[in-house]
Amino acid sequence: MLLSQNVSAVGPLNLYPMVHISLMFGISYILPDFSDESCTLKMTLRNLQSILSWEFKNHSVVPTHYTLWYTIMSKQEDMKIVGDCTNITRSFCDLTDVWVNMTEMYIPKVVGFRGNTALVSCMGSFFLAMETLPLDPPEFEIIGFTDHVSVNVKFQSVAPKMLNEEELQFYLALIEEQSGGIVKKHKPKTNGNITENFSYVINKLIPKTNYCVSVYFEPKDPRKINRSPLKCTLFQPGWESESSESATIGGIITLFLIAAVVISTVMMLKQIGYICLRNDFPKVLNFYKLSVCVFPELPPLEKVATVEVIHINRKKKVWNYNYDDESDSDNEAAPRISAGGYTTHGLTGRLCPASVSSATLEDCSDPATEECDLPEPKAGAEAPVAPGPSPWQSECTSRGYQGRANLLQDHFSEEDSSSTEGSGDRIVFNVDLNSVCVRALEDNDDSEVTPVLPSRPEETVVLEDPDETESDLLVASGEGTQLPFPGPSAECLWPEDTPSDKSDTSESDVDMGDGYVTR
Amino acid sequence: MSAEPDVIRKCTWPVCLVGLFVTGILSLDCSLLDVHLRRVTWQNLSLLSRMSKSFPIECLRESKAFELPQEILSHTQPLTRDIKEAFYEMSRQAFHIFIQDTFRSTWEEKHLRQVQIGLDQQLQYLEQCLEEEEEENEDMREMAEDEWTQSGAPVPQLSNLELRRYFNRIDRFLKDKKYSHCAWEIVRVEIRRCFYFFHKFTALLRRK
Repeated sequence: MLLSQNVSAVGPLNLYPMVHISLMFGISYILPDFSDESCTLKMTLRNLQSILSWEFKNHSVVPTHYTLWYTIMSKQEDMKIVGDCTNITRSFCDLTDVWVNMTEMYIPKVVGFRGNTALVSCMGSFFLAMETLPLDPPEFEIIGFTDHVSVNVKFQSVAPKMLNEEELQFYLALIEEQSGGIVKKHKPKTNGNITENFSYVINKLIPKTNYCVSVYFEPKDPRKINRSPLKCTLFQPGWESESSESATIGGIITLFLIAAVVISTVMMLKQIGYICLRNDFPKVLNFYKLSVCVFPELPPLEKVATVEVIHINRKKKVWNYNYDDESDSDNEAAPRISAGGYTTHGLTGRLCPASVSSATLEDCSDPATEECDLPEPKAGAEAPVAPGPSPWQSECTSRGYQGRANLLQDHFSEEDSSSTEGSGDRIVFNVDLNSVCVRALEDNDDSEVTPVLPSRPEETVVLEDPDETESDLLVASGEGTQLPFPGPSAECLWPEDTPSDKSDTSESDVDMGDGYVTR
Repeated sequence: MSAEPDVIRKCTWPVCLVGLFVTGILSLDCSLLDVHLRRVTWQNLSLLSRMSKSFPIECLRESKAFELPQEILSHTQPLTRDIKEAFYEMSRQAFHIFIQDTFRSTWEEKHLRQVQIGLDQQLQYLEQCLEEEEEENEDMREMAEDEWTQSGAPVPQLSNLELRRYFNRIDRFLKDKKYSHCAWEIVRVEIRRCFYFFHKFTALLRRK
C-alpha cells in the first residue's frame, strides 16, 4: 500500500528514482529489522512455561499492541502467526504448546502496531536445545518431624512439551540444607518426570539446629541457576537420648585420648630428660604412714596375769633424806646406787578406800612417799642398752601406775583381808605387770635385781633433762625400747631399797622367794 | 650453550610421562563409548553455536530442507553396533564438510579448527571400538543380519546410506550456493541440528 502511494505523487521524469526509493522503503518494511540494537528477544521458562518476551529500545515509539509470527529453519515455510499472541498489549507470549521440538531452530518475529500502523518489528532465532533457559524453582514446603525433615515439592501440573522425558535429564531438583554455614546438596530422583509431586526426607540431622532448604533446577550452565527462597525449620528431635548417648561416648573417648596424649607427652619428656621425676618423695609426701596417722594402731591389749601377793610385814627402811648426816652406817634407807645406776628408795603408803582396779592415785599418794631419783641419763650412757628392758627404764611411767600398786600394798596392810580374795595374809588380785613395779626379794639382801618394766616397742628414752621431759612420757623412736626418763615426781614402788650390783637384764625371771615377782 | 642439553635432559622424563598419560587417555575404553560420544557431540554442538552470534535473518529465504533421516534413529530396538556405525558415518561426513577451506572468511579459524579436531577424535574412537567389536562378535553380527532380513525390518546398513544421502544434499547445496555466507550459515545450523539429534541418540547406547 505504501508503495502505491509513493508512485502516484511524482512525475514521469522522476518516476524511476521514486519508484526505487519506494521499493526500497517497501522492502525495508517487508524485511524485518534484525538489528540487535533496536529490540531484544528473550526466551525464559516461567513455571515450566516457555515464555518469549520482547523489549524495544526506541522508547520514543511505543506501540499499543503486538503480534507474533514465527517459522522454522528445517523447512521452507511461511511465517505462522501465533493465535494467542495476536494484537496483544503485553510484551510477552506463552509458547509452551507452540515451540515443542527441541531439534528445530525457531525464527520469531514481533511487530508493534499503533492502530493499524506497524511501527517496529523485531526478529530473532532460537535453538531451544542450546538455550540455557533458567527454570523457575518449583513450590515446596518444609516440615520438621521428630527424627527427620521432610521437603514436599509441588510441580506444575502441565510440563512444557519441549521438556520431554529425554530433556529432563538435564534438569534436576536439588535440595540444599544450610546448617551452620555448611551447605549439603541432595539430588532426589524424580524419575524424569517433573509433573508429579514428591517428598524428600532428610535424616541424620544435628539436634537443635536450624535447617534451611532451597530448591532449584540444574541447567546446563551453572551460572543460570534460579534458586528458590530459603525455608527454614528448627530441628528438635525426640531422639535426644541417642544423640546424648553418642555425645557421652564421644566425650569419654575424647577424655581417654587426651589423657593418653598427656601421659605419653610426660613420659616422652622424661625420657629425653626435659623433666626429671624423683622417685624419693619428701617426708611430708610420705603417705606410707598416713594410714597409721589416720588410723592409729590400737595399743596392745594389756596382759593381765593373776598375781598372788603375799603380804609380809617387814620393817621398812625409809630414807630420811638427810643429806647432812652422811654416815657410813648400813642405812638401808640410804640410797644405793646399783650397778645399773638406779637409786632405790623405800616407799610407804596407805591404802585408799577405792577399789583395786580404779584407784586414783593422786588422792592416795602418801606424803611420806619419797621420790625415786634416777640418775640422769648421759649421752653415751654407760648403762648397757639391753634389747629388752634396760636399767634406764623406770617401772613408773606415771604416778598413776606407781600409786596403784602402792595403794594395793597399803590396802593389804591396813585393811582387813576380808575385802579381797584369799584368806589371812594372802590376797589374790589382778595386776597389770606392765604398770607396776615388782621386785623379787631374796634372802640375800645384797642381791638386788633392779626391777624394770616391760618395754614398749614404740617407746624410747629421750636423753634430755628430766625436767623438760616430765610430760613426755612416750617419745616415738625407731629404735630401742626405752621408756622416757621419769621426772622427779615419779615414785618407785620399792618397799625395800636394796641396790643390787647386778644389772638388770631382759630376762624375765619369776622369783617368788620373798613374794615379789621379777620380770 | 650448555644450558640446552640440561633443559632437554630435564624435560625428557616429564615429556615421556605426559606422553604415556596422553596415550592412555587417548586409548578409549569402549565400555565408556556412550559417555565419550555424548560429551564430544555436545562439545561440537556448543562450538557450532559459538561460531556465529546469531543467525542472519536475511539468509532465511535461502534456507532448504535437507531432510535429516530421523527414521534411522526411530527403530524400536536398534543394535548397538548399528548405532555406532551411524555415529561413525555421521562423523565422517561432517568432517568431510568442515575440512573444506572455503569458509575461512565466514567463521573464526580457531572455532573451525576445534570442530575439526572434535570430529577427528570422534572418528578415531569409533573406529577403534568398531574394530574390536567386529573381531569379537563377527559371527553374532552375521546372524543378526539374517534375522533382520527375514523379519522384514529394514536392514541396519540402510541407515548409513540415508546418512550419506543426507550429507550429500548438504554438500550439493554448498556447491550450488557457491559457498556463500548464507549457505554456510544454513549448513552450520543444519549440522548443529544433526549433532543434537545424535546426542539424544547416545541415550540408547547408555541403556544398552
